[in-house]
Amino acid sequence: MKADKTLRIARWEVSKNAGQLDRRTLAAIGVVLVLVAALTPLVASKGIALDDGIYQVGVADDSPYRGPVANDSTFVAVEPDARAFRNGEIDVLILPGRPPVPAPTQKGQAAISELRATVQAYNDDLMGFERNRTAAFPVNVSLRYVAQNVSTTGAGTDDSEPPATTRPTDEDEVGLGGGESGGGDTGGETDDADLQATSRPTDNGDEIDSGESNSDGAGGESGGGDTVGATDRDAGGDDGGAVGDGPAGAPSVGSGSSLFTDQTRGGTPADIAPPFPFESLVLAFAFVLPMNFVIQAYASSILNERINDRGELLLVSPVSRGDIVAGKTLPYLVGMIAIATLTALGIAGLTPAGGDAPLEIVSTAAVSVAAVAPIALLFLACAFVGGMFARSFKELTFVTVTLSVLLTSYAFIPAIFTDVHPIAAISPLTLVVRALGGGAVPLADYAFSTLPLLLTAGTLFALGAGVYREEDMFTQRSVPLKFLDALDSQLSSPRSLAKLSALSIPFVFVAELLAVALLFALPVSVSIPALLVAIALVEEVAKSVGIYAGFAHERFGRSARSIGWLGFLSGLGFFVGEKATAVAQLVGLPNLELGRAAFGTVTGLGIQSSPLVLVGLFFAPLALHAVTATITAAGASRDRRWYFGTLAVATLVHAGYNLTVVSYLG
Amino acid sequence: MGKRLTVARRELASLRSEKTIVLAILIQLFIAAFSSFLAVGLVSLYDPGSVSEGFVVEFAVTGEAGDDIAPVIEREGGWRAVEYGSYGSAMDAFRGGEVHAVLYVDRLPSGQADVEAVVPDGNIRTTLVVTQVRDALDAFERAERKRLRAQLERTPIDLPRDGESSPYFGFTYTVLLPLLMFLPVFLSGSVAVDAIAEEYDRGTLELLRVTPLTATDIVDGKLAAMGALAPLQAGAWLALLSLNGTDISNVAEILLVVTGFSVGVVAMGAFAALRFRDRKQAQFLFSMGILVVFSATYLLPEPPANTVAKLAIGSPQPLTRAMVAAYVVCGLAGYAALRRLVATRGIGE
Repeated sequence: MKADKTLRIARWEVSKNAGQLDRRTLAAIGVVLVLVAALTPLVASKGIALDDGIYQVGVADDSPYRGPVANDSTFVAVEPDARAFRNGEIDVLILPGRPPVPAPTQKGQAAISELRATVQAYNDDLMGFERNRTAAFPVNVSLRYVAQNVSTTGAGTDDSEPPATTRPTDEDEVGLGGGESGGGDTGGETDDADLQATSRPTDNGDEIDSGESNSDGAGGESGGGDTVGATDRDAGGDDGGAVGDGPAGAPSVGSGSSLFTDQTRGGTPADIAPPFPFESLVLAFAFVLPMNFVIQAYASSILNERINDRGELLLVSPVSRGDIVAGKTLPYLVGMIAIATLTALGIAGLTPAGGDAPLEIVSTAAVSVAAVAPIALLFLACAFVGGMFARSFKELTFVTVTLSVLLTSYAFIPAIFTDVHPIAAISPLTLVVRALGGGAVPLADYAFSTLPLLLTAGTLFALGAGVYREEDMFTQRSVPLKFLDALDSQLSSPRSLAKLSALSIPFVFVAELLAVALLFALPVSVSIPALLVAIALVEEVAKSVGIYAGFAHERFGRSARSIGWLGFLSGLGFFVGEKATAVAQLVGLPNLELGRAAFGTVTGLGIQSSPLVLVGLFFAPLALHAVTATITAAGASRDRRWYFGTLAVATLVHAGYNLTVVSYLG
Repeated sequence: MGKRLTVARRELASLRSEKTIVLAILIQLFIAAFSSFLAVGLVSLYDPGSVSEGFVVEFAVTGEAGDDIAPVIEREGGWRAVEYGSYGSAMDAFRGGEVHAVLYVDRLPSGQADVEAVVPDGNIRTTLVVTQVRDALDAFERAERKRLRAQLERTPIDLPRDGESSPYFGFTYTVLLPLLMFLPVFLSGSVAVDAIAEEYDRGTLELLRVTPLTATDIVDGKLAAMGALAPLQAGAWLALLSLNGTDISNVAEILLVVTGFSVGVVAMGAFAALRFRDRKQAQFLFSMGILVVFSATYLLPEPPANTVAKLAIGSPQPLTRAMVAAYVVCGLAGYAALRRLVATRGIGE
């Protein structure tokens, strides 16, 4: 790849697009942008009330409930008419001197729950007018977040841990781990000043070092890493799915601190707000929404090259494919990062959390941009592949909308749980939320969130560049066939199959994380088996699709020996790549019950046993992967139906293996 | 009419042959699944009863006024108060995981109760416990106000009893349903842009123009195909939701709103494509235009998402009915304007 050629193509891409913009288009874009800018504050100030007027409450004008009902736009006040109530036209009926009665429907029940909350808030407002503050607000609250050290099933299993990996739990160390100033708060029960503290400085990210082991070994991911894994499954088993996360381990989720509000948590009970980071939602939109527009243009530009053989000229010129792809991508990537930088500076500058000193604002913004850039690259990589595979603009629209929805939810959904659940760490937006919250973002957390994205983006670009050639660009082939072409272009010999399998690891990782994100809300008894099957399927598809592509292009022989060799190579490549996910364990996701099921079993690390068994277990996944890949290879060598059949068989075998590891060795 | 139907059929056939419509339905399925998961996940973080029956939140109560709050907590089914002699022993129990939260209650000289609530940090239970602590302290505040009512000039209103509905009842009607109704509309408009931009880009408009079709016939046919897709998908969603046990009222009116929007949005897409011809620009302006239009509707007395929510939940007011009519009229007016433009200006070389 040559820098000057890449830059020249990038310049062409920019000047070509700029040349298409006449004055009329520019004016239209200007008008639309001005309208967006004008409307956003207007709509924001009005508030988006989705539930206006959805419940009808029958209440008389002189009823004490009239005030709360009239104040809350969720309700519509109507005449209290018993007949209308029986007909279902009124959801809650309030007759003079009687308590409110809900209609015997789901809607009536929902309405009275809502009314209860409304009356509560109304009472607090009413008390605000009282002169006697003590009687009006008789309870003064301050909230303090303190780490619990053990899982909810209780302590008592310390003895089973080898002394080398368990250090006596040290309260102060947990709090002080990151060198944050709030360290005293976990050890200060005798300290009066601490007792009165109303808020606790967020100790973001200081618990990455998993050296402080949980005293009951919930996860036990300490020290050498050989105790990591499915060693403690009962932690969440009998209490309905809650995972007893100790303070150590998974990338930490800081205590709830809002960006846009005051940080003290003192006041009346009504002031207590659960740590729901609403700002994640705002951030996701501010950062991710412009990306959706950019990839539309980028994918259009890629597809344009393929229509009416327009890309032919570039292809025959003395530049490599890599130069063309990089040159065409560069302006869009730069544009996206520029937009993200402006957004980050805006957010960091406008919110108090970004800091006051210009230097502080810049550093916060830099962290945000660094966290968002991999998302931008992944958006572009997906759009590139979409542009290479789509046959028409219409198809491209569906592909880009699908990508937008999937990628936005991948970035956004986990970030909602920033302060609640370690799963949030898989989204780089979580890093942005933490950086804006004033916390440090350790390099390990950064790597954990962004590496899968970067690897995925790189592989996608490689796949797309593989079909950036005449016979694929200018022909109409269906998307699955193009996909097989792209895979086949990466294959040269059976040995390259191992490489392809290893390259599939980031996709497997992202797919598995998505599965974890989807399933973590369910009780552990349901989610673990479902997850094991989903993971088995993802991995089997990843290993076998290359083999299938090779057979579809008559690249490999179909003898039994060849099939066995292919299966072994694919399994080997996958096995080697998979060991790389041990990185995930070092970072600490396995502290999550689901993370342990997802990554602990397949890597085979984490079973405490004799060295011989350990070696056996270390290589057991290799045997498993080779066997299942051979099963699917046998199917792939015949036809599509056989392939899907053997895929199902291989998935079951794989899931069975995982289940065995989880339940017997765990 | 027949000619237009031919164009419409051709458009739909091309969608079918690419099987992209399957992708569209997958997107919506994914959104529905994900937002439901999200709702269940969020609710389970806030509300213990909704997910696991019989989950009891245990509060360690200590401090000199601890005796005042314990009976208030004990009154509720899902709460249990455990009294501890000292703050230290309560904290030990908390760290050991025996209790979910600590309430250290003191009396200030003024007579106010001063509560220090300790909740778990960075734990999946944090949100849940914080919510429960707030509810418990709310109850305590009500009890205290009642005790001190002689000193108050105004009387707090008695709270109605709590309902037993599913906590995501409101979410289904106010978020999920409008999302599922308007997403197909956006997709249809976007595909309408492509259907026209594509003809320009591939130079196939020439071929269409040598057929006995007029410019309006061509545009009509393309719009009919795309405009019909959105209400069809919306109808399918309504049917699915009803099967799933969500009662939906005023189905016909909801579909009327979706159709009105679909006609208007598809006309908008066609306008952008006819005007700018290049797909990149047309799509960008169309998406931004949609953003503007949909955010501008929030300035209306009743936004479309709210109209759909009210219709579906069965609380339409006279204004709602008027808005339904207004949306249909706006959609048709946009379409009529587009037709006039096409009839007078044609669709270009």
